[in-house]
Amino acid sequence: MEKLYVNEIGPDGDVSTVSLFYSHPEAQKIVDTLRADPDRAAYRYEIVEAVRHTLSEKQARRAAPAQKE
Amino acid sequence: MRGITPRREQGMADPVLAEMVYATGATESRHYAAVKPTIQAYRASWVTIAPRRDGVVNPQRTVVNDPAAMTARIKAKATELGADMVGVCRLQPDMIDLGSEVPHEFVIAACVAEDYEKVMQGPDAVEEEAMWTYARCAEIATELAAQIRAMGYPARAHHNGGSEVQAIPIFYQVGFGELGRHGSLINEKYGASFRPGFVTTDLPLVEDKPREFGVQDFCMNCNVCQRNCPGDAIPQDHVVTHGIKRWLIDLEKCYPYSRLREEYCHLCVDVCPYIVKSHPETYKAFMKERKQVGYKTPKTY
Repeated sequence: MEKLYVNEIGPDGDVSTVSLFYSHPEAQKIVDTLRADPDRAAYRYEIVEAVRHTLSEKQARRAAPAQKE
Repeated sequence: MRGITPRREQGMADPVLAEMVYATGATESRHYAAVKPTIQAYRASWVTIAPRRDGVVNPQRTVVNDPAAMTARIKAKATELGADMVGVCRLQPDMIDLGSEVPHEFVIAACVAEDYEKVMQGPDAVEEEAMWTYARCAEIATELAAQIRAMGYPARAHHNGGSEVQAIPIFYQVGFGELGRHGSLINEKYGASFRPGFVTTDLPLVEDKPREFGVQDFCMNCNVCQRNCPGDAIPQDHVVTHGIKRWLIDLEKCYPYSRLREEYCHLCVDVCPYIVKSHPETYKAFMKERKQVGYKTPKTY
């Protein structure tokens, strides 16, 4: 499944993540609903790929032998 | 007031769960299909009282000259009805479901703590305790809303039988605690082992304030819930929403354990170290068990 964040960008440039979504149509539906809210007219929205790391990946990186140049 | 926070659909209405269930060739998630009679009874209880979430407001309004005294009275009533924690805040758009309108000024949160000792009895006992607690919260919110309407003020209960509000932003704002890595709010006494009921109302009340006691900083370095999550669903990285750190659970990894099996999964809450203050012996014994199985959930759990 896709992993996508919807971010809300405020008038002052502050970025606030709305949530994590699992398909572009699901994320786009949320963006469309927020854009339709007149109280949010000053906000912009973006859908970005969610880059996520898990603990097991962190542990795997730690366990990997150091690379000599 | 119009809400801005998306609510994920429950059950097969959730497209993520539906896709995963259909991929197995089934038409219903194993967890929901295998519901025991006691759990069915608890679920039926909040469905039965759902029509009483809202109702007729007494046209003879009680004058509130002292909102602080009224707040104390409401909190005392909620406690008398069985709530372990009660808080009040002003309703904000991020506390309401995206697309929903809630025409009230305040929200009352009334929470009931779960009996943490049940975790030692296994997932069936934990699930039964969780559902019992949800049922109690629904009863408390329904009764509280009815009493406020009887005083002449609009009031609507929000619980598992029907809700337009979001638990986490309200919990934070009323001072119950801070959001933890496992996605639940952490209280210093109950950890994350409590369940919510809410009442939105125009009754004049006095707001509580958020309380921060280091949870978010602690969660940056404590990986206990992550290490114990059988699906590796709790991320290392956080995002920020309205200035609050959030670790967004990966449902594609969570659901194989929490929805596609018959057994209830509550592990991320059960292993949270914030419960140790109120249940030191139970927590230590439970974590000893967890360590023996390498922190991962055996298939028999």
